[in-house]
Amino acid sequence: MKQLLTILLVVFSFTSQSQCVSNQSHVISPLGIYSPGQVVTVWYTLGTFTQVNINWIIAFQINLGAGWTNLTPTNTPGNIGGSQGYWLWDIQNTYPSGLNFGPGWRFINTNPFGNPNWGTSATGPFIISFQATVGPTCTPDNLDISVNVFGDCLTGGWSNGACCTDPPYNIYTGVVLVPPVTTSNINHY
Amino acid sequence: MNYKENKQVLLALFITMMMMVTTIFTYGQTTINPDTVCASAIGEQYFVTNTPTSTYQWTVTGGGTLSTGQGSNAITVDWGAVSGLYPNAVEVIESNAAGCPGAPILLDVYVLDLSGNPIGPFCPGDPTTPLVGNPLGGTWSGTGVVANAFQPSSAGIGNYVLTYSMAGCNTTINVVVNSGPVTGPIQHY
Repeated sequence: MKQLLTILLVVFSFTSQSQCVSNQSHVISPLGIYSPGQVVTVWYTLGTFTQVNINWIIAFQINLGAGWTNLTPTNTPGNIGGSQGYWLWDIQNTYPSGLNFGPGWRFINTNPFGNPNWGTSATGPFIISFQATVGPTCTPDNLDISVNVFGDCLTGGWSNGACCTDPPYNIYTGVVLVPPVTTSNINHY
Repeated sequence: MNYKENKQVLLALFITMMMMVTTIFTYGQTTINPDTVCASAIGEQYFVTNTPTSTYQWTVTGGGTLSTGQGSNAITVDWGAVSGLYPNAVEVIESNAAGCPGAPILLDVYVLDLSGNPIGPFCPGDPTTPLVGNPLGGTWSGTGVVANAFQPSSAGIGNYVLTYSMAGCNTTINVVVNSGPVTGPIQHY
């Protein structure tokens, strides 16, 4: 089916730089600013993944600044009406296109009549959740949080014209709040 | 204002004064930079305001030796005998509970080695002699001392210890006033 649609799209495709992602939102708790040791929970919702050029959604990559540690998945995206397979939490994976993925969830397509490097035909909504901890530091390390959504065109499992080029979705921008160490003057009895 | 209101005002004033006194005794003592110590002084105490969760790394130079208290907010130092001004002779770096260091806090130290120029011996009728101490600027005291000068006539016959003082440091010199010859009456053969 997907290959049949390929032919049609070669004819009708006019989108060179398309976006597949829309209706994104998030909740972050607690709200920043963050200090070392704080645990933060993020909920991210992708409302719709539009299958431009039959790109199928294949991965959610979580981008964390250097100040974060102990990234933990707490809610795996669903696969309502999607392809046979499952979402795998993975730290790192190199896709056929050479895209270096991770950490995040990536879809493992297990349809025996499909391609293991295809994503899922589900279009959303997808809800993910994860926790991260502000690492111990004495410097104002970067605490940015963003999410990338990849279609299987970008990862190399699907080749049908222009890929989706969705920018990362920014969830938080900031740095670690390092409490200043203030010492009094030296006194002599 | 009636008696009851006056009583309340007085009570508030009393509490405020007590808080001020407590604050002064706890934090208010401030050593002027440079600090002055006597040469060869033992067990001189230095401190910064304590933060219970912090540790303190002290460094002592300028001929001083850190005797006790490394790691805490208060130390004792034994100073050497060589006089002079020693920049940054006492340094402390506070680290908070997360191990983050603060800015170095520094104190210059002037090691003061007093000496007095020897004078005498004197006879009871000798004129007043200026007393000279090194460095200049101190104060002489003792028997026969008037305005930083020694008066043999007012001291009288004897051995005296004169003290030269400056900035809490002292040194002494010994002065002798000898008796004059005892001459008999003039005889006529």
